[in-house]
Amino acid sequence: MQRRARYTLDKAFTGLGTASVLIMAIVLLVLLVPITWRGCQAFIFRGTYFFRQMQKVEFDRGNTARLDKQRDQFLAAMAPAWGMINEFEAELKEMPRKDRKKYKANFRETKKAFEAVFGPLPDEKTPILPRSQYGQTRWDRANVKFESLYFREMWDYNTPTGQGVQLLLPRDKDFAGTKLEPLFDYVKLNLSKIMQPEVTFYWQFLVDKSIDSHFFGGIGPEVLGTIYLTIGAILFAVPIGITAAVYLCEFARPGSVLSLIRTCVNTLAGVPSIVFGLFGLAFFLNSLHVSQSKSVLAGALTLALMVLPTIIRATEEAIRAVPHSYKEASLGLGASHGWAVLTVILPAALPGIMTGIVLSMGRAAGETAPIIFTAAVSLGAAPKIMQVFSEPTPALSWNIYNLCTEHEAVNEIRHVQYGMVLALIVLVLALNMAAIVIRARISKKLKG
Amino acid sequence: MNETAQRGLLMSDSACRKGRLMEKLGRSILLLITSLSVFAVLFIFIYIAKDAFPFIKEMGLSRFFGSAQWYPSMDPPSFGAMAIVYGTLMVTVGAIIVAVPLGVAAAICLSDVLPFEVRQVVKPIIEMLAAIPSVAFGFFALVVFAPVLQNHGGALLSTILWVIGLPLGVLLVMVLSEMTASRVQEVRRPSVRLMGHIIFGVALFYLLWRGGACLWNVHIASGTNALNVSFILGMMALPTIVSVAEDSLQAVGRDLREGSYALGATRAETMVRVILPAASSGIASAIILGIMRAFGETMVVWMASGNTARIPSPWYNFLAPVRTLTASIAGDMGEAARGTMRYHVLFVMAFFLLVVSFIMNMLSQWAVDRQRKRWGK
Repeated sequence: MQRRARYTLDKAFTGLGTASVLIMAIVLLVLLVPITWRGCQAFIFRGTYFFRQMQKVEFDRGNTARLDKQRDQFLAAMAPAWGMINEFEAELKEMPRKDRKKYKANFRETKKAFEAVFGPLPDEKTPILPRSQYGQTRWDRANVKFESLYFREMWDYNTPTGQGVQLLLPRDKDFAGTKLEPLFDYVKLNLSKIMQPEVTFYWQFLVDKSIDSHFFGGIGPEVLGTIYLTIGAILFAVPIGITAAVYLCEFARPGSVLSLIRTCVNTLAGVPSIVFGLFGLAFFLNSLHVSQSKSVLAGALTLALMVLPTIIRATEEAIRAVPHSYKEASLGLGASHGWAVLTVILPAALPGIMTGIVLSMGRAAGETAPIIFTAAVSLGAAPKIMQVFSEPTPALSWNIYNLCTEHEAVNEIRHVQYGMVLALIVLVLALNMAAIVIRARISKKLKG
Repeated sequence: MNETAQRGLLMSDSACRKGRLMEKLGRSILLLITSLSVFAVLFIFIYIAKDAFPFIKEMGLSRFFGSAQWYPSMDPPSFGAMAIVYGTLMVTVGAIIVAVPLGVAAAICLSDVLPFEVRQVVKPIIEMLAAIPSVAFGFFALVVFAPVLQNHGGALLSTILWVIGLPLGVLLVMVLSEMTASRVQEVRRPSVRLMGHIIFGVALFYLLWRGGACLWNVHIASGTNALNVSFILGMMALPTIVSVAEDSLQAVGRDLREGSYALGATRAETMVRVILPAASSGIASAIILGIMRAFGETMVVWMASGNTARIPSPWYNFLAPVRTLTASIAGDMGEAARGTMRYHVLFVMAFFLLVVSFIMNMLSQWAVDRQRKRWGK
């Protein structure tokens, strides 16, 4: 092959490699940007008057005088709308039966949509569910719900492809000539005056409990539950992992026993996470009965088994990275082997061990499959510290799945789902970043 | 005076004996604690097998693997897992197709093409990509990616074809033109090269246009399908493959590289003919670990595969929803009463997963050991 052709091949080869790295970078951005952007909207958004009312009633936050002033503005702006509804109801009673029948179903639907945006009518009894006691707490959701109030949805199936096409029909035309007709334009013109949107920074999203299946409030129990499980797993796995690594590096003699142990550690690392979940159910709950039912303890034990190989490997690498001269100097001064390990090698290896521990925490925090059967529930408060031996807990990873697949109103709480995902990713990546920083310091230290 | 001082430096026989006894005891305790991982593996196999055994005894494995009729709620129930095993294989193969070419190419690029400073920045980012929780990938697959596939699937596939195909195609056109030109006499090469550019370029554009048009008209009925899951699993397996493969390429050392360059080889020739064969065991290990990552994943497939226990028609249709072993275990355990066949069949699936993972782990370890023996790492 000629020289120029070889150079062209070489450039093509370089381009191919660079393209693959660029593709990976693009995919990473595509993955993280929407989650980050919409996850931040769980914390920073335009909250409405109902959000501030909810915060005051449920969590006793905010300035009372300012809220009273806003309530007066809300009532003043809402009075004409409520008046129109009442007048139409009176008008409806005096209508001929045929006309009444025509308007009744549509009016019921309109009223329902109205209450979804603006909360219950003042004369009606208080609804039981909190989700019906308040209107929309977020400005973006209020606009979406307002579209459902302003337009009636209909599907047209008389199309060439046979696939339904959505039609949006204005409701004011449905009620043309009645006292309800002005309602829609009035509400449209005064929506921002009624709802009074303000930019809100809701950092308490991380610590508040959820109200009425996450319609309001935050993800505090999930965050706390994830912390419990992570710390529990580390408490079980770290002593065993470090001890095992010390033995494998410093005390084990080469032979079949050593290779068997190494094979088992590698096998443990390769077990699918769902199998850990089944094993946790079968062994810790059904055989050992560490608790009567799901519990943080069972989940922590299962996660500990899962992260054990990571700690063993990281600790082994850290111990091997300690120069031999440290140990030889210690032995030369008369220390015994065990004492040399305890007082010289382990302190020198401590940064590497910390790296492994932090990586394991990230892994334990992010795993869902092992805790499905052993520890995770969907709702409820996180247990008190003394209840972790017998009580299950909500967890971030489990409820991310649960809220976007099992919730009765998935699209209503999309911001909570994104907020949970962002919180979990930030937690795990922060741990990972800490591990990287620790490792960088190790490199610098050993190099110097 | 001298006798007293000299005697003080010597340990008594009993003290020596006690020291050795303590050392033996300490070593034994360490071994016992270390063996916990051995016991853990044994217990995992034992307890999964113990709960799998009632199903095997009563139902047998021939219908489990030989039938695609998965109807656990019917009376009498049918536990044919062929479609579920097929779904697992399907998404695993799809993930490999996505991850292995991209991962190995990226590893080569990081190892020998990009500057050292860039590698120092990129490697931690890859590790952080590996650390993203799988449920976050599953959430993305279900909430972000599935609607895009369902509403704009054809346009998306067409765009991907152009975005990936155009750069690769341009490189290919350049290479083909150059190789064609190298076969003729020196004087005519520029004109032949130009002609090659035109002809191959037109052919490339035509192929991309036709392929893009075909893909544009594709209509994806369900955004949660094998394609979605394969792509996401590929992205999840990618960091593993890149990290391990890059490490094995680094382990080959500078000697071979410098020898090859000294003989006049280009970088591409060095990589393809010298370094890749030398690191083939390590790269095989990376690929196996990536397969294990995709094979054992639960949350992404549970959330985004569509969970339909049927073999797609035709068998290679990645646009159809599928069901996997891991998703079946996660999804059905809540439905199955303890002690029933429906409960025990999930442990059979888990045991199958466990055995396959064990075998792949042994293969990976064997590849690593082979690499180590060959290059004395």
